[in-house]
Amino acid sequence: MPEKIRVVVNEDRCYLCGGCAGVCPALAIEVHASGWEFFQDRCIGCRICINACPVGALSAEPLGVKE
Amino acid sequence: MKYDVVVVGAGIAGPIVARNVAKAGYSVLLIDKKPAIGSPKQCAEGISIKVFDKYDIPYDRRYINREIYGARIYSPSGYELELRYNEVSGVILERKVFDKMLAYYAAKAGADVLARTEALDVIRKDGKVAGIKAKHEDEPVEIYADIIVAADGVESTVARKAGINTYAPPHEFDSSYEYEMLIEGFDPDLIHLWFGNEVAPRGYVWVFPKDEDRANVGIGIASDHPQTAKYYLDKWLKENNIPMKKILEVNVGLVPVGGFVKELVKENVLVVGDAARQVNPMHGGGMAEAMEAGTIASKWIVKALEEENLSLLQNYTAEWWEKDGKRLEGVLRVRRVTEKLTDEDLDLFIQILSGADAEKIAGGDYVEVIKALLTHPKVLMSRRRLSLLKELL
Repeated sequence: MPEKIRVVVNEDRCYLCGGCAGVCPALAIEVHASGWEFFQDRCIGCRICINACPVGALSAEPLGVKE
Repeated sequence: MKYDVVVVGAGIAGPIVARNVAKAGYSVLLIDKKPAIGSPKQCAEGISIKVFDKYDIPYDRRYINREIYGARIYSPSGYELELRYNEVSGVILERKVFDKMLAYYAAKAGADVLARTEALDVIRKDGKVAGIKAKHEDEPVEIYADIIVAADGVESTVARKAGINTYAPPHEFDSSYEYEMLIEGFDPDLIHLWFGNEVAPRGYVWVFPKDEDRANVGIGIASDHPQTAKYYLDKWLKENNIPMKKILEVNVGLVPVGGFVKELVKENVLVVGDAARQVNPMHGGGMAEAMEAGTIASKWIVKALEEENLSLLQNYTAEWWEKDGKRLEGVLRVRRVTEKLTDEDLDLFIQILSGADAEKIAGGDYVEVIKALLTHPKVLMSRRRLSLLKELL
């Protein structure tokens, strides 16, 4: 069962480069001119975005296990 | 607002499309979410000199930082391979000026251009994409257009919302981190590239000079690697005793290095540039590829508008795959083989090639490179090396 996570951003590290949104297979992240946005209902917990960030600005908070 | 064509994203591909279509007499709007087109950049700024003539771009000193005469490649143990031309082979651009000037050329050709205008979603009417929902500063804007061009970079928001599959697996992206900084001790007429599994897993470190003592110093590594690109670049600078106290810029981004989008058109929506993953998988450069894709896309947009037949847009997919797609798939194959090289292989290959015909290597003739490698006894005696190289022939 995939782990359910909330992806969070460290705004002081983030450059809003859009890379995390680009690699997300589920469109769970949008990077706007003014900020970073995460859509919990779309996230599949794959953590690709967290690994891909060139500066380590993203991390995961566990939310329990999907049924 | 209603236009014949709306182009989302004013990187490289977007303004080329906007300029070409406007030049043909059609109404075009080019939008970009940034308040200043071209800034921040996500790029090492190096490009071949050939693109200026090929894509009808002025060779303008306002955006050319430096002319470059070749490259020096460094192996993990410090062996060097120098490829130096007598004439200028490339330039280091100032992307902040270059991108803005490309948008200026589009505007001069007749396109409307709106900075700080962010596409948020597509507008659908009767199941078909009819335009873009956008935001200019805090004002919502609806832009209707017959044709929508998604040139919106690696995140490809518009392409994906229009239903174009731009997904590529994480291994087909590089994480990239770069300082523009003061740095001394490197020949400023050459670009410098360091390879090695400990230096930059799957990728390389670069120094692209902008002045005698100022350069873009960056790194790209596989995006599925557990450490960050920043970690590896800072490590490299420290190990090479390069002081990090003169940093003028920090640039960050993800670079698609494979996973080219199969269907570049969905009805009246086209995807170009980084959004379509149209980047060279070997070196991660995508400006020339974006110009080529933008040129092909704009040709078919103009034909589709002239003949009032949007099905002609599909020819962009066909022509791109026939021209650049086929070539880049070949480059991707080379990249996948080079990923399997050990540091010892890299040391040996660079040693062998430094004594080979540099002109042919510099010309990018992979077959000549492989032939040069295959004749060396240390390659001939290794079944693994032989097999890796033969995969490339």
